[in-house]
Amino acid sequence: MKLPPSILDLNLPEVEMRIRRFIKEYVENAGADGIVLGLSGGIDSGTIAALSSLAIGGDRVIGLMLPEKETINSKDIEDAKFVAEKFGLKTQLCDITTVLESFYKSIPIFDPTDRLCKGNIKARTRMIYLYYYANKLNRIVCGSSDKSETMMGYFTKWGDVAADITPIMDLYKTQVRKLAEHLGFPAELATKPSTPALWPNQLAETELGIKYETLDLILYGLERFMTTEEIAQQLSVEKTLVEKVKSRWLAIEHKRRLPLVPKIEYRTVGTDFRLPRHTY
Amino acid sequence: MEKMKEKIKLALAQISSRRENKKENLQKIEEFTMKAKEQEADLVIFPELSLTGYVVHDQIYELAEIIPGPSTKRIEELAKKTGAHIIFGMPELSEKTKATIFNTAVFVGPKGFIGKYRKMYLPTHSVFEEKRYFRPGYQTAAFNTPLGNIGLFICYDIFFPEVCRLTRLKGAQLLVCISASPAVRRSYFEILTAARALENTAFLAYVNLAGVEDGLQFWGGSRVVSPTGDLLAKAKYDEEDLVFCEVDYRDMRSVETFIPTLRDLRPELFDELRKLSETL
Repeated sequence: MKLPPSILDLNLPEVEMRIRRFIKEYVENAGADGIVLGLSGGIDSGTIAALSSLAIGGDRVIGLMLPEKETINSKDIEDAKFVAEKFGLKTQLCDITTVLESFYKSIPIFDPTDRLCKGNIKARTRMIYLYYYANKLNRIVCGSSDKSETMMGYFTKWGDVAADITPIMDLYKTQVRKLAEHLGFPAELATKPSTPALWPNQLAETELGIKYETLDLILYGLERFMTTEEIAQQLSVEKTLVEKVKSRWLAIEHKRRLPLVPKIEYRTVGTDFRLPRHTY
Repeated sequence: MEKMKEKIKLALAQISSRRENKKENLQKIEEFTMKAKEQEADLVIFPELSLTGYVVHDQIYELAEIIPGPSTKRIEELAKKTGAHIIFGMPELSEKTKATIFNTAVFVGPKGFIGKYRKMYLPTHSVFEEKRYFRPGYQTAAFNTPLGNIGLFICYDIFFPEVCRLTRLKGAQLLVCISASPAVRRSYFEILTAARALENTAFLAYVNLAGVEDGLQFWGGSRVVSPTGDLLAKAKYDEEDLVFCEVDYRDMRSVETFIPTLRDLRPELFDELRKLSETL
């Protein structure tokens, strides 16, 4: 199999239709009054905001902007507002700084120099806000994780990935960008560098150590059971790079699943209880 | 036996099923059959597992019924009341066991139960897990009825030309494929429905589910294909629809002379096919 960049091309109107239909069907059948989502100013959450609004109407979608003092960035707020205005969804801004500081103060072993552990508190705190709004307003939380991040485990467990539905999780980052442009996002916003906003100046591609254009093609090959040798040859990259991506993908499957349960009884939660997600 | 009709009117009842809700689905089957009868349809065809929905996982054990059973009785009454022939799909519980289930197409007419077909090829790959729940059938099925000789098969069976070939060799003039095919596989079925009709010089009616079940989007697109592979009628993609199509068996004669695939069958190849498939 060859791996030209065009292999990631999608029938964008078809993908848009499928995702809109998926969102609408879920909200209707869940008996929810709408959607709440985190609106960071990044392209994934912007795309989710757009698709949610197109699916059920912007008046039934709330985008929560959840900045905190260490990572707040006026450009992100500006971009989030631009998306909200363009697609007609409501927004609400909640500064989570004081809540975070309370966490830092109340944890006896808190280590301010461990930026990953500290950053994960931020992602999980944002999740709490989203679910408060969802509970209070009878809405569902719409997640914005993409396939690249999810395969690489580049997310906070029970944090940014926590949601009721994740409509773009089967699209690689570069595909999300193209979908965003198809939806009418300006190129500057569609190609904006991604950040989980766990600490200042954090950039996804820097942390992952690879450009999304290359990463997505490697992941595409792995998804289709290509060997690391074949992928490296096709992309003219070092085999060690492909192996590194593969190892990371396989090593963090636990983050994508329910907690592991020892098999003791007849049918076990998360293993062989195979049930429809909903009874509607 | 009453005289066989040469020309019949088909109704493709492309419904979306309410999962695990046989009562509601039976009501829908009744509604669609009544509407079809208003248009003087002779045969109304519903999708695979339309009685229960497709994505029901372990709940299948509660939903399966023996045939004849309560649900088939209800459809028999409907056929009697309307004078229509009806084909639909349901999980069939073996009479001899408590939990051995088949994925079955049921055929009833105004005079009662006509026959059934148990799916032979059970997809167990990608999103499909049919072998986990179903026992495969061992017989193809073609039934002599007042509406002609009608053969039944189900969804993934279409990838195996021997199923249709055997059904045709049993005398089927109309090949009926009931299906629950998700959208990512649409192009395969669009090709294969035409191929199976053409290579067997028979009419083919394909009826797919519509709607979304656990994120799986069924693409609809039900159709009738002529013995030359031409599209005679086509339902909407993705949405529920009821489409009618007249089929005139007399048209088969000129096709069989023009494309004499049945005349040209080479039985000795089937022995070789069997030998080689045993040693794959």
